[in-house]
Amino acid sequence: MMMNVACNDRDRIFEDGTRVEWAALEAHAASCPACAGELRAWKSLSVAAQEMRDYTENPASWPRIERALAEEAGRKTRPARRRSWLSFLPGISLGWQTAVAGALVLVLAISAGWIFIRGPHRVENDKSLLKSAALENVERAEALYVQAIDKLAAEAKPQLENPATPLLANYHEKLAVLDSAIADLRTEAGLNPSNAQLRHQLLAMYQEKQHTLEEVLEARKQ
Amino acid sequence: MGTMGLALPWKARIASVPRERESRVEPSEHFAGGPNPAVVDAITEDASLAAGCRAGNLQTYERLYSIHGARMRNLARNLLGNPVDAEDAVQETFLKVQRGIASFRGQSSFVTWTYRILINTCYDARRSRLRKKEVANDDSAETPRPEPRAPGAHPSLRMALERALASLTKHQRDVFLLYEVEGFRHAEIAGMLEITETASKNTLFQAKKNLRMILEPPRSSAAEAR
Repeated sequence: MMMNVACNDRDRIFEDGTRVEWAALEAHAASCPACAGELRAWKSLSVAAQEMRDYTENPASWPRIERALAEEAGRKTRPARRRSWLSFLPGISLGWQTAVAGALVLVLAISAGWIFIRGPHRVENDKSLLKSAALENVERAEALYVQAIDKLAAEAKPQLENPATPLLANYHEKLAVLDSAIADLRTEAGLNPSNAQLRHQLLAMYQEKQHTLEEVLEARKQ
Repeated sequence: MGTMGLALPWKARIASVPRERESRVEPSEHFAGGPNPAVVDAITEDASLAAGCRAGNLQTYERLYSIHGARMRNLARNLLGNPVDAEDAVQETFLKVQRGIASFRGQSSFVTWTYRILINTCYDARRSRLRKKEVANDDSAETPRPEPRAPGAHPSLRMALERALASLTKHQRDVFLLYEVEGFRHAEIAGMLEITETASKNTLFQAKKNLRMILEPPRSSAAEAR
């Protein structure tokens, strides 16, 4: 049996009516022009609302969302990869890791300080390389020095070519060895004229030759 | 942003397609004669979508989009009045779902939770647009101007309704759009907007009453026209 509704039930049914109440309102509207108009207007709003529904597909939409989701997922995994790179320290506590890091920083700071302090002195003391002007002076002095020694050698030559004593014979041999060494060093110095170490050795050889020649001349006087 | 932890009863599962309605009646969603198979399917699908998204499966996100994407876009477009902003809002919603899925505890339907995120994202976009307008000293109204849409739609009727909707309160407009346009149930709308089901019904009633007043010419002028 159909339930009866009146005009004043209309709004309540519009708001929260059951299926049975709606059917009763429809039946009532058939004989009530005012409720029929209200019911029609009420339903027409629902029909009009359909015009606001547009479910057409946009083919570009999903690829765009998918790309954004993939990028977001990539961003999430990157920090995890960084953590796994540090996983070679799994058994070391955070305190020890901090201590190790602090020690490394200390070592680096000391090394940097040492390099900073020692650097300029090392450059100042480093005479392995000679500048061209200094080299010219050295070569000039060396040439004069060699000339002076050659004069000594010319004076000692008669005794050495005919040694009267075994001592002079030994000096002769010694001078022959020195001359050979000087010749080798001069060759090397010619190839690398800026090498101060070679120059030192050459100078030592010349000095030794000078002393030896002096001794030969001393022995002649005696 | 208050999108998590939604408490919505499981009976209020969201169907994948909006229901057709003429005079839509909701007899308090009581299911006589055992569980409704459609509801059971919806629950299973919802759980499957939630699990897939939690696992970070892109195919599940694609499935979520294929089922709800068009409706989400339409809702966002009606809330924002602009198809470009709507696309951005839907994308942002998917990103928020991806970011927040770990905190989704399943107290509510996953899809309702997703729509709630979408609605909040649209609110945020609307607020941010309003701020920009204020900065630019734009005196235009808060409600966005809708853009032309599908050619199949009745333009004058749609435009009249859109204009009328613009003069409703935000809550009335949202409930009207969710119920009448998108076809959600009051229980679902209650979950999305964090209101009671009764409040949703009452808001819709007020919205429709106001729309009638706006859309119908005054009785005296209508009589003159005759």
